Amino acid sequence: MSTTPTGTPAARTTRPRLLRGLSWLVLRQHRTTLICLAALAVLGSLWIVYQRGRLIGLLDTAGWPEQDVALPVVGQQYSYLTLLLGSLPGVLAVFLGAPLIAADSEQGTAQLVTTQSVTRRRWLIAKLGWCFLITLAVCTTLSAFFTWWWTPYRSVLSDQWMDGTVFDNTGPVLPALALFLTAAGVTIGALLRRVLASMVVTFAFCVAAQVAWDVSREYLAPARRLTYPLDEELPARLSDAYELDSWIATADGQLYGWGTCVEATEKASAACIADTGIVSNVYEYLDYSQMAAMQWTAAGILLAGTALLTAFVLWRSSRRPL
Amino acid sequence: MADTSIPSGLPGAWALEARGLGKRYRRGWALRDCSFRLPAGRICGLVGPNGAGKSTLLGMTTRQVEPTEGELRIFGVAVGEASVMPRFAFLGQDKPLFKRFTVAETLRMGSELNPGWDMAAAERIVRSGDVPPHARVGTLSGGQRTRVAFALAFGKRPDLLLLDEPMSDLDPLARDEMSTLLMAEAVERGTTVVMSSHMLTELEDMCDYLLVLAGGRIRMAGDADALVPAHTLVTGVTRDGRLPAGLDGHTVIENRVQGRQFQAMVRPNGPLSGDWQTSEPSLEEVLLAHLRSPDAPPLYTPGARVGAEGTRTA
Repeated sequence: MSTTPTGTPAARTTRPRLLRGLSWLVLRQHRTTLICLAALAVLGSLWIVYQRGRLIGLLDTAGWPEQDVALPVVGQQYSYLTLLLGSLPGVLAVFLGAPLIAADSEQGTAQLVTTQSVTRRRWLIAKLGWCFLITLAVCTTLSAFFTWWWTPYRSVLSDQWMDGTVFDNTGPVLPALALFLTAAGVTIGALLRRVLASMVVTFAFCVAAQVAWDVSREYLAPARRLTYPLDEELPARLSDAYELDSWIATADGQLYGWGTCVEATEKASAACIADTGIVSNVYEYLDYSQMAAMQWTAAGILLAGTALLTAFVLWRSSRRPL
Repeated sequence: MADTSIPSGLPGAWALEARGLGKRYRRGWALRDCSFRLPAGRICGLVGPNGAGKSTLLGMTTRQVEPTEGELRIFGVAVGEASVMPRFAFLGQDKPLFKRFTVAETLRMGSELNPGWDMAAAERIVRSGDVPPHARVGTLSGGQRTRVAFALAFGKRPDLLLLDEPMSDLDPLARDEMSTLLMAEAVERGTTVVMSSHMLTELEDMCDYLLVLAGGRIRMAGDADALVPAHTLVTGVTRDGRLPAGLDGHTVIENRVQGRQFQAMVRPNGPLSGDWQTSEPSLEEVLLAHLRSPDAPPLYTPGARVGAEGTRTA
């Protein structure tokens, strides 16, 4: 239409523009959030490097792994760190995801942007794209650093690999969980269109999701079962395994509860064992070697959920205004 | 002025064309059976009481509201198509802007998001109001913010400019300044303007086309110059407390009886004769009469009504 060139006076475009169009708009609008998250990623990573260095120093002095060290070797800082990492997906969901669209709906800036020459869908793709990219970058960085620390020293660290503090904070799970919860926050924000309300609902959703996630984590891989003689100890290679259940069993495989023959005296117990014909222990567990597969399965499920929520938000935006 | 109402049959000759347009919310119809045409290059006033459907109509035009039925075209292009977006600009009632952006950044947003952006025009509008370019939008006064919003709208170089109560929150000085700016820019570029307003005087000064809505339906559409002369204000003496029979053949929009006297807004369907006084009403009187009487039959000037396929009998 107009033939006037966009950058008439020379002074205005002295600096070359790296970002254009919607990317510029989205990053300018969320500049403060972006800076905060970048700082969080950098400081968090440095903190992990520092703590890891201290742990190595401590273990070297103690002569580990030739000699045992007195546990716990890590102090309060380790708990703070796992707490920080564990709450990161929720924090991102509540403070980045929930207001992402809700704030623009509430302040009318959604209307401002979508009455320029961009469609709602293009604007949303830009917003969600950058939001997910930033979430992914921050969480992948922190997860990578934490994994790099935890994996070689896991035997001296207090928590087990199946604990949420490890399973959810290492490998691909941390970024995937953060993406899923953030996408849920975005969806809630797009539906409620009010910042405060969507932040509260997102927080409640995060708590509920975390509880459900804790329960369902052990179903991510098929359980393994080991039968070994009653009078033997559990094989040492299973010291890393996560116990799901254990029984005592007869020769033909009939299972009895763990406390079946717990009697007042040893004699009575032995009699009970002989009576029922119990000959072996049965141990049901998840092996540490299954962890990587379980984490990628978890990430796959969470990413599928993220894709579903994102598709819903985009589909809805083409039918209804924001 | 009827000649200007009927441009050639080119599809782009109508800035806005609605056929059987309707929007139903959960509470009921906000707008229904809305059919009209607005020729390009006119300044159109959108008038109606609160809840008449003005914002719904503007919302559908700016793709913020999805029509339940009917169709709406801007310069011949259906509003559902993305290619219509560069052709209109919208200034909402509360003129939302990013509060943390500076004025310069706000204008940059316009240039980043609009293909036909005219930075020189936008900067001229901002500069002529002495708005500091590096001030944050959140720190500006209401008048200055409106000016920035205007700059954003005009920088887009729209063919159709839609304004929802643009002056409502401005002091008289800023209001005057903005109307002057609006008229100057619109006339210079031949922009078609649709503005909703409560201020009837404001409309009388600025608009040469009117779209009157009440109760979700169109009451009047057409040239301001043709709508007013279609009405006559009749003052006379009542017969037995009722209007004289001589008015029966004409459309009485509204009548008021005071003692033995009556005053009626009449749309004559032929020569008016009788022992009463007639006078030409003002635009304001005609508008008020129509707004007060939602049951009066709607009036379209030639050209404002679209073909029968979209208009349903009410």
